[in-house]
Amino acid sequence: MSTHTHDDHHHPVDADAPLGYYEVMETAVRDLLIGKELIGPEEIRRQIEVLDSRTPALGAQVVVKAWLDPKFRARLLTDGRAACEELGISFYDDTRLIVLENTDKVHNLIVCTLCSCYPRPILGLPPDWYKLKPYRARAVIEPRAVLAEFGTHIPDDVEIRVSDSTAMVRYLVLPLRPEGTEAYSEAQLAALVTRDTMIGVVQATIP
Amino acid sequence: MSAVVPSREPSSPRIIRAEGEQPLFAPGDRVRITVRFPVGHYRVPIYLRGRTGSVEKVIEPVGIDNEEEGFGRNAGTKRHYYRVAIPLSELWPGYAGSYRDALHVEIFETWLERN
Amino acid sequence: MTDTSTLLNRLANDIGGVQAGPIEQIEHQLEPWEKRCHALADVLDFHKIINTEEKRRGVESLGEVAMGKLTYYERWIAAFANILFQKAILTPTELARQMDLVAARSTGGEVRSNDPAVRSE
Repeated sequence: MSTHTHDDHHHPVDADAPLGYYEVMETAVRDLLIGKELIGPEEIRRQIEVLDSRTPALGAQVVVKAWLDPKFRARLLTDGRAACEELGISFYDDTRLIVLENTDKVHNLIVCTLCSCYPRPILGLPPDWYKLKPYRARAVIEPRAVLAEFGTHIPDDVEIRVSDSTAMVRYLVLPLRPEGTEAYSEAQLAALVTRDTMIGVVQATIP
Repeated sequence: MSAVVPSREPSSPRIIRAEGEQPLFAPGDRVRITVRFPVGHYRVPIYLRGRTGSVEKVIEPVGIDNEEEGFGRNAGTKRHYYRVAIPLSELWPGYAGSYRDALHVEIFETWLERN
Repeated sequence: MTDTSTLLNRLANDIGGVQAGPIEQIEHQLEPWEKRCHALADVLDFHKIINTEEKRRGVESLGEVAMGKLTYYERWIAAFANILFQKAILTPTELARQMDLVAARSTGGEVRSNDPAVRSE
């Protein structure tokens, strides 16, 4: 069992301690559903592998291809899910994807005020802060202040466009390609595309 | 009705669309988010009720009402969701950012009225 | 007469635009059971045993107090239990008994249950 040093909602886990109440519940629910043959015994394990395979590196791959290939970019902006599937990034759920293009006139930011909708098939699991109250409450009412907390300052003549996911559409921000990267390889470009650039709280920059 | 005269041009058969297939709104339309207060579950945040905005995009294909889906309806009449744009300066009194800043959100057809 | 309708009309998770403090940029690695819980949600949705919207509604149904005190995945598993009961897929007694068995397995046989059916000798 792993141990954690951070606090908040999580307690250090000791290998000899009895299972927590909710872990017992999760195990029991799973046992019963498998026992009743409503889910297969390997499905959870398989889905964990699926989840583990989804990381921001996939999103970075999509972004870099859009930066380098204008036709792909156009397809990506027309149908985000289909374009990701071209690259072999399958969607294991029913969600759709709209890719939001940052330009010199528009900076995009994504949030889910009601819960934690997030483009998981392409980015993996969202960070805690994305799921907690301060971000969800404030992103739609004071996005510039929120961005400032991440060190991001967008000029007043650029629109900040906040997308609140309430339905089956998920969003991915397509960040602006930083200047001075004309000679960068794909790998070097991908390194600039962090998870937070695709949420929109920061811009892609050369370190 | 006049007698049917065979035409030289092939004519496409006239179809009748199913309920909900035709979008009620088009990009550019001004729409108002209905003021309605469901008991319990909803997916249209309260901060949006009664607000007006413009349709940015008609989301295709049609989809199930996500509020009904929350009670287990995995099927039923499908309608369109619309991506609606609302300036933040209109959404929040005294908004301190740029007048250009906007919110975009997907709203199910049954929550929208023509403005 | 007090108007309590807000309790029914405003969901505790509907927080867009409310006052809130600074964003602590915390992240944590999921504990194994949390990851299994997330995978369970995906599998349940895939089979439409519990779809994602049902899960959301189920979390809301926990009510404001529980939503505030339970962590993210604790809310999910609690919601799943309730929804499975509603759908008569599981019964509360069935789940309680299985939870006792699981707890007993994890501590090597010590059963802390009052149910005579599962009390060990």
